[in-house]
Amino acid sequence: MSSELLTALHVAYIQSLGKSTDDLVYHLTAHLRLNAIYWGLTALCIMDHPEALERDEVIQFVGSCWDEKAGGYGAHPAHDAHLFPTLSAIQILVTYDALERVDIPVVVKFILSLQQPSGVFAGDSFGEIDTRFTYIAVNALSLLGCLDQLDKDKTVRYIKQCKNFDGGFGSCIGAESHAGQVFVCVAALAILDRLDEVDSETLGWWLAERQLPNGGLNGRPEKLEDVCYSFWVLSALSILDKVAWVDTGKLTSFILSAQDPEKGGIADRPGDMPDVFHTHFGIAGLSILGYPGLVDLDPVYCMPAKIIEKKGLKKGWKALERQS
Amino acid sequence: MNPDATPALYAARPEWADVEPVQQYEKANPLAPILYSEEYKDATDYLRGIVKAGEQSQRVLALTEHVIRLNPAHYSAWQLRYETLVALQAPLDVELKLMDELADKFLKTYQVWHHRRLLLLLRGGGGGDTNAPPPVDAAEAELMFVEGILRQDEKNYHTWAHRQWVLAFVNDDILWGGELDFVDTMLNRDLRNNSAWHHRFFVVFASGVREGEADRERVVRGELVYVKQHLSLAPNNASAWNYLRGVLEAGLLPLGTVKTFVEPYTVPLPSMARDLVDLENPPPGPGAELPCTAAVEFLADVYEEEGGESTEKAVTLWRSLANEHDTIRKKYWEYRIREAVAK
Repeated sequence: MSSELLTALHVAYIQSLGKSTDDLVYHLTAHLRLNAIYWGLTALCIMDHPEALERDEVIQFVGSCWDEKAGGYGAHPAHDAHLFPTLSAIQILVTYDALERVDIPVVVKFILSLQQPSGVFAGDSFGEIDTRFTYIAVNALSLLGCLDQLDKDKTVRYIKQCKNFDGGFGSCIGAESHAGQVFVCVAALAILDRLDEVDSETLGWWLAERQLPNGGLNGRPEKLEDVCYSFWVLSALSILDKVAWVDTGKLTSFILSAQDPEKGGIADRPGDMPDVFHTHFGIAGLSILGYPGLVDLDPVYCMPAKIIEKKGLKKGWKALERQS
Repeated sequence: MNPDATPALYAARPEWADVEPVQQYEKANPLAPILYSEEYKDATDYLRGIVKAGEQSQRVLALTEHVIRLNPAHYSAWQLRYETLVALQAPLDVELKLMDELADKFLKTYQVWHHRRLLLLLRGGGGGDTNAPPPVDAAEAELMFVEGILRQDEKNYHTWAHRQWVLAFVNDDILWGGELDFVDTMLNRDLRNNSAWHHRFFVVFASGVREGEADRERVVRGELVYVKQHLSLAPNNASAWNYLRGVLEAGLLPLGTVKTFVEPYTVPLPSMARDLVDLENPPPGPGAELPCTAAVEFLADVYEEEGGESTEKAVTLWRSLANEHDTIRKKYWEYRIREAVAK
């Protein structure tokens, strides 16, 4: 267990991930490949090592995931287009300042085609619906500068219907509040400048209640803590300007205790196997907590803050001040 | 398919000889030989071949089942399977039986639930585009199946959401009629199951008013009794306290409505049980760990709601939360004190 962020180890861990393509796990997770690259790249940027991946190689790989027929990106070459990897592709290209590679009108058409009559988005033509996909669509359209093409009222109306009596939000109408879904709904509303739909006192309290005595955060009442909620709860809290409502020192220690001190990477909780997903969300959480030496993360877009600011997209969130 | 036997590779089967397998794109690197499962690589090579050829046939069902068993998160395999089922007008009962097995096996995988949803839509006589609900008996069977899964995995988010979708979509009193008993069963197994409490709220308050429930005051009264009894059994239950707040809000009642009930939960347990048991206000059961933090929070909110001289009492309770009962959220309680004093 380490009380400090093992930056060098994490950088090496993320670099090593793309190299073991002979591993079965690599192939079983092919449907998350592009997302994994986004997670890895963003974590590297937040640790101030954006150069740790080969820029040209990554950009080329993103291009090879393009699904010509659908007009979006698949998670892996020859995979069907899906909203999830489409956002990752856009985020990666924005991070590398290579958005000229995107056929914007075609992607925008693909994204908008997935909005359902109810206002929620489906992930692909197969039709899985979820407020996660609404966030993905809103985020992607915003990054592409095409948010004006979205029917915002319709979009917001569906999110509103997912609000529960505890102030939280679920994945679809009727579903239980869940910290991950709270993040996507609150961040989508932030991008759409509709945070007035959030009952921020009740929700802020519900989010603060997610902290357990060991410092970690859970996603729903009476569930176990998990490092990924460090980002989902904290990002929502920072959008509501209430990060201080949790014990930030204890949470920092909890995230650090989930690091693998030998091979690098961060796990869901101490003692488990690390993966790039939890590594990314752990480091993202630490950035919001003002951990020294890290780069600022924009919690709304989950990307380096400087890049979002440069695009003129920054919303009124507040993280803890960076410690020196 | 017998899962124990290792099937021959598609590449070695004459009946697949007409399909041209399409290999997964790899970064050209002859120095790194591919060592991952031959079976998975072979099956997905043929899956890509089938997609390319646009074939929709019985053997596509066999192939997609094979790939899904190896990797239930392979969404393209699910999609191809669904399209093929529709094209072949394959018997849905056979498919559903297979899905019963796969959902049981891969219950954390979202695709399993989405596929069931599409099958139910097909039972309603349409594809994904039409919106006729399936027959009630099909929906009843679905709820029974879902119950079986929830007994194994009581807080599975997708499974609960699937149940809520079936109920709201079919919207038949026969289905709704069994839901509160179902919630009871789940809460008897674990009275801290937040998913079950949420579901209760969904059924009673968030899915419309059904026949026999028009008297909302009566419904609210009944729910207050229900949640109080559960709190009396186990006071330290965040989900039940949230439910209590939700019921009051739904009934447009002030928090102070239950002040008498809440008070005994905010102080140490008396050494002697009270003689008179007030059914409206069941006291904390023997052995309860008191004071209960959630009750202290609740009572402080009651005092704040009362305003005036009671605000000072609220501040006292918040101070006790910040410094004693709930120190991890100290900053939050200090914020509440500042806000109340500033008013």
